[in-house]
Amino acid sequence: MRQPQPSTRSCWPRARSMRSYAPAVSWILVAPAIAILAIGFLYPLLRLIMLSLSAGPSATYGRLLREPLYATVLASSIVTAVSVTFACIVLGYPVALAMARLRKRAAALTTACVLIPLWTSVLIRSYAWIVLLQRNGLINSLLIAEGLTQGPIKLLYTQGAVILAMTHVLLPFAILPIFSILRAVPNDYVRAAHSLGAGKVKAFFLVTLPLSLPGVFAGAILCFVLALGFYITPALVGGPESMMMASLIGQQTTVLLDWPFAAALSTVLLAITLLIVVAFRKSLSFSKGLSSVY
Amino acid sequence: MSFIWIRLSAIGLRLPICAFACFIPLAASLNWASATEQVVIASTGGAYDRALKAAWFDPFTKETGIQVVTVVATNAEMRAKASAMVKAGNVTWDLYLDGEIQAASETHRQATEDLSGFCQQFANRKDLSPNACAPGGVLLQSTATLLVYRTGKAGEPVPETWADMWDTKKFPGGRAFPSFDDPWRVMAAALLADGVAKDKLFPLDVDRALAKLDQIRPAITLWWKTGDQSVQGFRNNEYSLGQIWLTRAKAMQTEGLPIAWSSKASFLVGDRISLIKGAPHRENALKLIAFWLKSPKAQAQACEVLSCTPPSSDAIALMSDQARKTMPGADDIRNSIVVPDAEWINANAAMLLERWNNWIR
Repeated sequence: MRQPQPSTRSCWPRARSMRSYAPAVSWILVAPAIAILAIGFLYPLLRLIMLSLSAGPSATYGRLLREPLYATVLASSIVTAVSVTFACIVLGYPVALAMARLRKRAAALTTACVLIPLWTSVLIRSYAWIVLLQRNGLINSLLIAEGLTQGPIKLLYTQGAVILAMTHVLLPFAILPIFSILRAVPNDYVRAAHSLGAGKVKAFFLVTLPLSLPGVFAGAILCFVLALGFYITPALVGGPESMMMASLIGQQTTVLLDWPFAAALSTVLLAITLLIVVAFRKSLSFSKGLSSVY
Repeated sequence: MSFIWIRLSAIGLRLPICAFACFIPLAASLNWASATEQVVIASTGGAYDRALKAAWFDPFTKETGIQVVTVVATNAEMRAKASAMVKAGNVTWDLYLDGEIQAASETHRQATEDLSGFCQQFANRKDLSPNACAPGGVLLQSTATLLVYRTGKAGEPVPETWADMWDTKKFPGGRAFPSFDDPWRVMAAALLADGVAKDKLFPLDVDRALAKLDQIRPAITLWWKTGDQSVQGFRNNEYSLGQIWLTRAKAMQTEGLPIAWSSKASFLVGDRISLIKGAPHRENALKLIAFWLKSPKAQAQACEVLSCTPPSSDAIALMSDQARKTMPGADDIRNSIVVPDAEWINANAAMLLERWNNWIR
């Protein structure tokens, strides 16, 4: 990994702010992005919300509130998403740290190990877990061969399998933001901490970790948002009790073809996701030194 | 900067799935369009597709010169996509396969053409079953969802009815039931096990069915969502008794697995070929479905492989004795196989699914 030159290390690396250009230039520069967002995202979103209201709000939103099923599934989806996010950060942080610290070849190898799964279809990665977790799969065979269990234990089609497989699928989304921040933290800071008498552990907790928090939070938000809408993986490795909001939306869209209700479910999921993300960011902005959380 | 890159890759996560599922077959069909006469049919792919291609599509192309382009999707995807194409006024498929029950629903009628006029030409065909050509689509084949079990030593009692499926003392071992958002057949099995008469089954008593299902729930070791799961589960000894598709059970028996089934505990299900409203190659599509009904040889060849019942009795006559023995026959349908009440199921689909979701999670 090439070390940045000392001159560029002197300040926190950030994209050039909008304030450095004249307002007219800024608007012209962002106009294409705004146009794409408006046509490709805002307009369909508006149509979705209109569709959800087309059958009358009591038939869609009313039903959502009357029937406790939807609130409980939403709650359990959030719990699953939070668990997956937590697991991604805890498992991803050391990998990101290794990627940022290792020398050339080892770093390239680690990066490849992170990126290749990212480019592999979610479907294939989920099926791989089925192969590992099934009744006479690799893990059960190992457990029995080692005499740790009498017979095969039920690993597949459980909530644990869902969290495990989702964590695996989403891990790169935690690793990459943390890595990009960690790489920008100059090694000089750690050396300075050492020279002031901090040991390795202390330097990590007092210097590296706090400086990398923006990456941790960016990774957490990404993982959480993606996990909340997960569809394929829970459907493949989960049992009937690990029902996610996306599966309910899928049922309404493809089985019952009740699109107004599917639109209402999607709108509620989107609103809750936005609410949680905004609340998360708001709570962060109170803590000092985290202003660069994107 | 880094965040923008990551955002892009977040979208990238979704793209490959969609690219495999829909863009590649569509691109392929677009390439064909300019060259030759064609017809686009959506089906579920795999072994099913291969059997249909060998028995039906290839002979059709040979006779008419019309290319048959297949698009692979699950039944639910097809239903949603056909409906979306009609609503958007941009139809690229001509035909798709839908379940017998769904083909009788209101949403199906909105997306597909009424074939009543087309069906008149088959009115005098004595070999075809009476429902072979219906307004909602042409019958492709019928098969069953039924009770299968792992065979033990000779002389041991074998499960025959749904009540036996619930009898965990007499027949120990794990149980398998389907859980693919279409819960009527599980509820119906529970009611039959609880002593409801076959002709009194519909309308389904959902409360009673779920109460009966509570009794068997601890023994259920597999809820299968795809046919492959039911096969893999049996191979892995995950269950000894299960409610699965006859076509899959037959495939496992051919493979040499110790599996048998009871036609006394079975439900008749089938697939229909439906013509989408505004199909771009409507005439070719009608030729293709007429070819199916007019060609008992094609039906016999496909059903020989898939262990299904073809719509024509002439086709049944052409099949091997062995294949005839495993498929649901006319006598079975009269005496033991339950024919679901499609009208009631469609009218109550949303309620059934909501009750089911509440119970299962």
